[in-house]
Order: sequence, then C-alpha cells, then structure tokens
Amino acid sequence: MHTQARFYVLISTLVLAGLVLAMPRQSAKGQGTEATGLLTGTVYDHQEQLVADARVTLQPPGDTEPLAETRTQADGRYALSVPQSLPDQLTVRILREHFEPVVMVLDAATIQSLQAGQPVVLPDTVLARQITASFWIATLVFIGMLLLIAFGKLHNTLAALLGMSVIFAVSYLGRPISDELFIFDFRGALRYVDWNVIFLIMGMMIVIAVVERTGMFQWLAFAAYRVSRGRIWLLMLILMMVTGVASAALDNVTTMLLMTPITVQIALALGITPLALLIPEVLASNVAGISTLIGTPTNILIGSYAKLSFTDFLTNLTPGVLLAMVGLMIYTQLVYRSDLRASDAGGVSSLMMEKLAERARITEPDHLKKAGIVGAFMLILFIAGDAIHLIPAVTALMGATALLVWIQPDIEEMIEAVDWTTLVFFIGLFIVVGAVQEVGLISVIADAIGQFVGSNLLLAVIVVTWFSALLSTVIANIPFTAAMLPVVGYLTVTVPGAQSKVLFYCLSVGSAMGGNGSLIGASANMVTSGISERAGYPMSYAYFFKKGFPALLITVSLATLWLIFHFLIQNPATP
Amino acid sequence: MSGIVCAVRGGPASQPTVSRSIALAAETGLPLYFLYVVNLEFLDHTASSRTHTISKEMAEMGEFILMAAQAKAEAQGVQAQGVVRNGVVAEEIAALCHQINADYLVIGQPQYQSDDNIFTAILHDEFIRRIETQTGARVVLPEE
Repeated sequence: MHTQARFYVLISTLVLAGLVLAMPRQSAKGQGTEATGLLTGTVYDHQEQLVADARVTLQPPGDTEPLAETRTQADGRYALSVPQSLPDQLTVRILREHFEPVVMVLDAATIQSLQAGQPVVLPDTVLARQITASFWIATLVFIGMLLLIAFGKLHNTLAALLGMSVIFAVSYLGRPISDELFIFDFRGALRYVDWNVIFLIMGMMIVIAVVERTGMFQWLAFAAYRVSRGRIWLLMLILMMVTGVASAALDNVTTMLLMTPITVQIALALGITPLALLIPEVLASNVAGISTLIGTPTNILIGSYAKLSFTDFLTNLTPGVLLAMVGLMIYTQLVYRSDLRASDAGGVSSLMMEKLAERARITEPDHLKKAGIVGAFMLILFIAGDAIHLIPAVTALMGATALLVWIQPDIEEMIEAVDWTTLVFFIGLFIVVGAVQEVGLISVIADAIGQFVGSNLLLAVIVVTWFSALLSTVIANIPFTAAMLPVVGYLTVTVPGAQSKVLFYCLSVGSAMGGNGSLIGASANMVTSGISERAGYPMSYAYFFKKGFPALLITVSLATLWLIFHFLIQNPATP
Repeated sequence: MSGIVCAVRGGPASQPTVSRSIALAAETGLPLYFLYVVNLEFLDHTASSRTHTISKEMAEMGEFILMAAQAKAEAQGVQAQGVVRNGVVAEEIAALCHQINADYLVIGQPQYQSDDNIFTAILHDEFIRRIETQTGARVVLPEE
C-alpha cells in the first residue's frame, strides 16, 4: 500500500509538474502565433461611396492560405490582426461581389512595421465596378417590378415581393452554377431595409386610423361649404386648403379616401360636376403633402436617407409649396371657370344639404380631442427631436402608443387599420432597389447624371427636379424615389454647393408634384378616380392628363424657382 | 313581394336608366327599388387594407346618389326605396332581385369604350340571360 501510495503521489507530482512546465511553454507558443500588428484601411467605390462587407485577406503571394482575414464594416473600414511572424513577401487582397478584385503588394517597410507589432494604415482602396450577369438580372427584375406596378398587373406589394423572391432565387440557386449570378444573400439584403421608414409609417398609420374615424374630414368639408356660403369658387379654394393641410399632416391617400365621398356629395347637392372639386383637391394634396416629413412616403424615404429633420422640410420646402399652391389655385380657378359659372345658375338641393349637415358632424369628439393633444405633442417632438437625436420613427411610435393607451380602442380594429401590405411593400421595395444598388445599376445612372451636370449646381437642381417630375408621371414615385436616393446622394457629394442637400429637396418636389402629371402618377389620384367613377363621374386618363399636366408644369416651375432662390441665392452653400 | 329593381351608379350616364325605371313603375304600379352597390375593387392595387375605412363613406355616398334618384321619382309621383349593398355588382343585383322577387330589372347599357365599365358586351348579355333564368325578372334596358 505504501509503495502504491508513493507511486500515486509520484504520478500526481509528475502530472502537476508537467502541467506547470507546460504552461510557460504553451504561453510562449501562444505568444509566437498571437496577432500583434494591426493593418487597417478603408474601401471605397469609384464614386467615393464606402464599400461594406468586402473580404480582406493578408497572405503571401500565390494561392496560399490567408494569414489573417476580415470584412469591411458599414463605414468601409477594415482592421486585420496580423501575426508577428510574417514572411518577407505579403499581399492584401480585397474581394467583393460586383467589383473587380484588388491585390496590393506590401513593401518591405510595411512588413517590417507589422513584424515589429506596429499598426499600419494602408492607403484608401478604390474598387472598380464589375458588370456581370447579376447586373442584368437585377436590372430586369427592377424594371419588371416597375412595369407590373405601372400597368396594375399585380398589387404593388405582390410586385415587390415577387421581385424580392426572384432576386433571392437567382442569388441562392444561381450561385452554385456561377458566382456571376450572385446578387446578395439574406443578410446583405437586410442591410438595405430602412427600418426608420417602416416604423415611422407604421406609427403614423395608427394615429391616422384613430383620426379618420372621428368624422373630422366630413365636418371640415361641410364647414368649407358653410364658410363659402354658396360661392363655388371660394368653396374650391377652401377645399384645396383643407386637403393640402390634411395631406401635410397625414398622408395623401387617406386624405383623398375620406375627402372624395363627401366632396362628391357636396357637389351633387350643389348641382355641379364633382370633378370640378375633386381634381383641384387631389392636385393640392400632391403638392402640399411635401411640406412636412410625414406628409408623403417619398418624404419619409428622403428624410431618413438624407438625415433631414421635420424642421428641415418645414423651413426649406414649405415656402416653395405655398408658392406652388398659389399658382395651382389660380390655375384651377381658370380651368374650371365655366363649371363654376354654370353652378351659379344651378340650384342647391335643400333636402340633400339637410342630409349632409346631419352627417357632417364629429362622431367621436373625445377621440378627436385626445388625438389633437397627442398630435400636438408629436409635432413638438418632431420639431424639437432633432436637438436630442430623437428620430421621427420613435416619435411616431410613442405618439401612436400614447394614443392607443389613452383612448383604448378595439385593438384588433387598430391592428387591422395598419396597412401591413404597404409595410411589406416597402420591405420588398428596399430589397429590390438594394439589389440594383448592389450590382451597380444605380452607380451607372449616377455616373451618367453626374457627367451631364458636371459641377453646375443650377443644372443639377433643374435636372433632378424635372427628371423626377416627368418620370413620376409614368412610374410609381415611391420605387422611383427609393432608387434615386443613392444617385442624389452621389451628386450631393460631387456637385460643388450641393452639400446643403438641395438636391434631396428637388427629388421631393419632383417625385411628389410629378404625380399630378398623370392619373397613375400618384396613389391618391387612383383612389380619387376610383371613388369618382363609382359615383358616375369617370376620371379618364386623358381627362386627368389634360387638367393635371399643366398643373405639374406650373407647380414644379414655381417650386424650382423657390429652390434656386433659397439654396443658390439666399443661402448658397460653401463648396 | 314583387317590384322593379333599378341598378344605379350615379352621374349623367345613369339618368336614362333612372328615368326608364320611373316610367316603368308609373306604368305598372309596382314598387321601385333603386340599388347602389359599394364595390371597392378599385382599391386592390393601391390601398387594399383601407376598405374598412372607406366602405362606410362609400355607402353614405351611395345613399346620397339614390336620394337624388328617389327625389326624381317622387317628383313624378312614384315612391321609390333606396337600397345600398356591399359586394360584387352583378351578384348583389341578382341577390336583390331574388329577395324581392323582382318582376323587372332596369340596368344601363354597357359603355363599350370604357375599360372601367362593370359589364363588357359579352358579360352584359350573359348577365341578362342569367338574371332572367334564375329570378324570372325581365331585364329592361333604357332606350338609346
């Protein structure tokens, strides 16, 4: 037993000794392979846009295993931890889908610095675009989605989902066949989804859902009739103002959905064609909606991308919008002067007016009062939030939650009132637009516009505004705006003086007011036309174009003049 | 129960249909029902989730349109009721004809040049045959 005990003690001692001895040796080995040097740098594309998710490797020349590897972050930067023992020849390779690979041979001094454990910053790397099969596939998918939406062949959301699915199918199923078919993976796609936009729209939808059930729109429309005292020209102007203000505070589609039926009824009671009031209303809705950040989905997109606050839109766009509204009011008075005159001879149906008066009342005054109080607080936060870095999406969500808690409506109804299809549409749209951005289509367009405008800011203002306005007459302005954002971002960096972000306001003006150029130019036009047609007053494409396109020319011209005056003459940015 | 159903859409194009139904009611002495169908298919491509919000407004607009038709009938000594329904136009017309066991259905002529018209020429003829077979109501078109 004694001998056996000594044996176990010996074995234990040896094991412990071995462990103790092994420890320093293990440390020494670890030190030998531990990364000590740091190799950093930044990767751009040829338009000076940061390139994220590029694979960066440090390796000896030839097809060898990398000694260190990392990926660029969202700010385009990379940091390679390099081992201390390095060969005498080293290369840094940068690989990114849709770009030409770059191989940099490190000089002896750099390698020595790394061997000495010193950090090294490499010069900025510029990657050149590579046009592959994926470029054409993503481009076709994007155009296909626009066509499906423009021709109404699929619901907007279905069109975007279809586009997104094709992009993923090609990326995942095509990559095993050829790397050139890869566009991006799921993680890469999610980088392009702007959650600020999604949550801001969702929050505002809840607020709108409460407001729209209060009867406020019906009351406002009938109040407009009362104030006008039978003067149709005045009624038209007041209705345009009401619609404009409502569109700036809510959204154009909701405003027109609620204003159109009551307007039709007022027009019928007055014995005039409803189109004489509806067309001016919807034109005003498209023009005035852009006065605020939350007035149109396109402004929400622009505001989030360009970091423009609620106050930025109010101060930089509202005067231009007011100017455009004055022009629009004069125009509509002239265009519909015969209808307005004819109405003077027509009689007002007292029976119908009684019925209207009966219906035009606030149905939920308590909810309206609470919504007004919450809305006022939201307005304060939208305006003041910029100073405390409170993003509009958070304000909208807080406001919506406060309103729901305060009035405690049927939550199921409120959830139903959120337009989930629109939110899904935005997610799908972001991914499809992200795909064309990823493969370089947006860069190609930006290059072309950039070469055309050169360093001429005035030309850039005119081109962005009118290009957006005219294209928005034929293609849906939300996908168009989403695609144009990186283009305008590029021009903002490259055109001297554009750092004031004037071109983003040009995009806002063009994409929203351009919606007046055709019936399919804006969703608000479509819903107004749909309701009007169901009241027996069809609003044909030709009719809308005849009335709307001159309005586009007038309002966009006036808004362009304002932008030129405000940004190029009154407050020119120092290049 | 029996009577005349007149499907009304509103607007100038509906006036001949309304007039024809009033004249028919005056001739036959049958009760007259003006029907307006709230159909929200136009929202499918733009704001499909807003149907809850808009359907009440559209129904009120429909009542208003029917009120004008009823006033016109009353001016000619004919009492008429207004009926507003939600759904597919052709189905709702058929349903009301069934419900009141209609003798006549007065509907407008399809405007062939309009893409938005509920009935194309073929569908219009098919609909007339179906209504006459299923409900026994005779379909009357306004004179052109």
